[in-house]
Amino acid sequence: MAQITLGKALNEGLRKSMETDPKVLIMGEDVGKLGGVFRITDGLQKDFGEDRVIDTPLAESGIVGTAIGLALRGYRPVCEIQFDGFVYPAFDQIVTQLAKYPYRSGGHVRLPITIRIPFGGGIGAVEHHSESPEAYFAHTAGLKVVACSNPVDAYFMIQQAIACDDPIVFFEPKRRYWEKADLDTAIHPDPLWQARLLREGRDVTLIAYGPMVKVALDAAAASDKDGGPSLEVIDLRTLSPLDMDTVLASVNRTGRAIVVSEAPSNCSIASELAARITEKAFYSLEAPVLRVSGFDTPYPPSRLEEEYLPDLDRVLDAVDRSLAY
Amino acid sequence: MSRIKEFKLPDLGEGLTEGEILKWLVAIGDEVKDGQPIVEVETAKAAVEVPSPFTGVVTKLYYAEGTTVDVGQPIIAVDTAPGSGPIDAADDVAQDRARQAVQAELSGTAPPSSDVVDDNPDETIEEGKIGGKTSSGRTAVLVGYGIKDTKAVRRPRRDAALTPAPAKPHSDRDSAVTVADHASEVSAHPSAGAVKAKPPVRKLAKDLGVHLASVAGTGPQGSITRDDVQAAASTAMSASNGHLAPVAPSARRALDGPREERFPIKGVRKLTASAMVQSAFTAPHVTEFITVDVTEMMAMRSRLGALPDFAGLKVSPLLLVAKALLVAVKRNPMVNSTWDDAAQEIVLKHYVNLGIAAATPRGLIVPNIKDADQLSLPELAAALGALTAVAREGKTSPADMAGGTITITNVGTFGVDNGTPILNPGESAILCFGAVRDMPWVHDGEIAIRQVTQLSLSFDHRVVDGQLGSQFLADIAAMLHDPATFLAWS
Repeated sequence: MAQITLGKALNEGLRKSMETDPKVLIMGEDVGKLGGVFRITDGLQKDFGEDRVIDTPLAESGIVGTAIGLALRGYRPVCEIQFDGFVYPAFDQIVTQLAKYPYRSGGHVRLPITIRIPFGGGIGAVEHHSESPEAYFAHTAGLKVVACSNPVDAYFMIQQAIACDDPIVFFEPKRRYWEKADLDTAIHPDPLWQARLLREGRDVTLIAYGPMVKVALDAAAASDKDGGPSLEVIDLRTLSPLDMDTVLASVNRTGRAIVVSEAPSNCSIASELAARITEKAFYSLEAPVLRVSGFDTPYPPSRLEEEYLPDLDRVLDAVDRSLAY
Repeated sequence: MSRIKEFKLPDLGEGLTEGEILKWLVAIGDEVKDGQPIVEVETAKAAVEVPSPFTGVVTKLYYAEGTTVDVGQPIIAVDTAPGSGPIDAADDVAQDRARQAVQAELSGTAPPSSDVVDDNPDETIEEGKIGGKTSSGRTAVLVGYGIKDTKAVRRPRRDAALTPAPAKPHSDRDSAVTVADHASEVSAHPSAGAVKAKPPVRKLAKDLGVHLASVAGTGPQGSITRDDVQAAASTAMSASNGHLAPVAPSARRALDGPREERFPIKGVRKLTASAMVQSAFTAPHVTEFITVDVTEMMAMRSRLGALPDFAGLKVSPLLLVAKALLVAVKRNPMVNSTWDDAAQEIVLKHYVNLGIAAATPRGLIVPNIKDADQLSLPELAAALGALTAVAREGKTSPADMAGGTITITNVGTFGVDNGTPILNPGESAILCFGAVRDMPWVHDGEIAIRQVTQLSLSFDHRVVDGQLGSQFLADIAAMLHDPATFLAWS
């Protein structure tokens, strides 16, 4: 078994879905000839043709609107939004049509659309290229929201998302596209709607998703090495619905929880987790649920992003604060 | 590391794939410095001067002016150590091989990249190409300066006092707080007003019956710790044992009252007495016990209570015990029968009038729910609620108490574990339901805190054999243990 990058794993997952189901289409800006700005769709147009891998105009509203029309006619479109900050023109289509159509039709019409969004910062890019807009979509009933954090999940989760009959917003950690891992395509993958306990620990539960999973794991390893507190790490994987069973089982054990996310904390996934943990595990909590997140500012110019993004030190500082209660 | 560095045409704008070499600003043999403009390139958007990232001597210009070059192609080579002798031949060979690979890929002659895995992506992704390294050591992307590798090592902390205490076992987590700034906060903000305690301490206090407002906190910011609560609880315990504190006045015998009092035997007391004597001395009683983990059933109660069908109704543990008994009667009908000594017959009842033993101001009475086996769960809850309310008001009529076929006595409400109940005369079985307690229990092969209760069943051994009685009791226990079994048999 050899190593594969997260980006290549997505590429292979997309390829597998297209081979399995002839109704799967890929559409987006520069996804065809160029293979996507991150090369996630590299080679797919060459192999599946321009009818199945479609270079669209620079019009996100049109991409999603067209996908809804295609889905109504029985296709299974996978839309790429080139960067997180470009999704807003499509917000109207996603929220008012995509999320609501199945409800409007009493469940008779399903819209099996996957919207892929590379998200988060850390690549030194200009504004609109480093945002974490997942909470907008998790807040919208009728959408499912997932985020992969590693090559193995990327390979399987993209296929599961495409196979799902509900609209899914699929977040990809763009700064982790070149992280590598061993991929065994023959294993039986976990269900899409399940968080995963990545590392067991006794003292504090770190909950992360997407690009912050690596930060949480690094923090746990560093703490271990320093003889510090023993940190448990959960990769959420699914942001809507949230897998509270896995989270609560852990927090009930450790008594402390810290959510790590790049998004600003105000009204975020981290806030929702804090609220639910407080509601369901109140008598287990030795400390308030803490959030280590981006700041409540627009994403900063790239030279400042290292200050903005949660890192190992900010996580371990939060661990200290939690343990001080 | 090679001393000959190649500089590849970078992406000069968002998503740019090629550019035209307009003008070389240096020639072979020229010395260049890091940051010095070396070439003017025209892109689809603008003409741009491109600076050199290296300092050294130009050894090669790959393209003539006017040529259009793909992004990622090497355009210039710089000897970064020109003073250190002739160039190593291997150096040149490596350069050539790398360059050929790039050109082969661009011209489409490279092997197809559809293998599931790249055996060694480091070698296949060229420096400066997307996914490869940039000159500053980042991972190159099409948009942005690239991804910086992060170090998984903690920065040195400013204040050694902020270093957390090593992880402590759970039991003394509260008292283990040694962080310096918290200590200063405590002195700066003496605790005032509302009680400060974290949730598990509040729970402990509730469980031990300690009022937090009366406890002085010794934790951070004046908060109350587990140790504080436990100390308060043990003080209260020894006080109530009478060793340290005087007995409360209300508990003391009135010294001036009579030493004994006599009450006439009448009313409910008289009826109870004669019924118990008749029953105890005519029906040979056998009592069996079973202890059961009812955690799941207790959890189910709150879900049931949330259903609209149970709006305004109480889903008590007794309700579920009653329902389990009714289902078990269906499976073991003979327990619901009467020994008719006079007729020398056993009377099997095809209906269940379910008696509920109730402590009332007038004494023990056993009203029954008529045809309880015909009621749905919400109807049973309503009937149980009505029966209890009427009994509590002392308004139970003789008709309400007549015709019972089987009885439940709920001694758990008094906090006791179980008993050996005496049959209601004319009936063949009585189920006794004890208190539900948090107990250490083997669950899934491990000791866990589970909600556990004890059931006992007294039955008339003339009618009910040990096997039937045991089966009946085990059935009830099985349903209370596992809601799925309950559902399956209902």
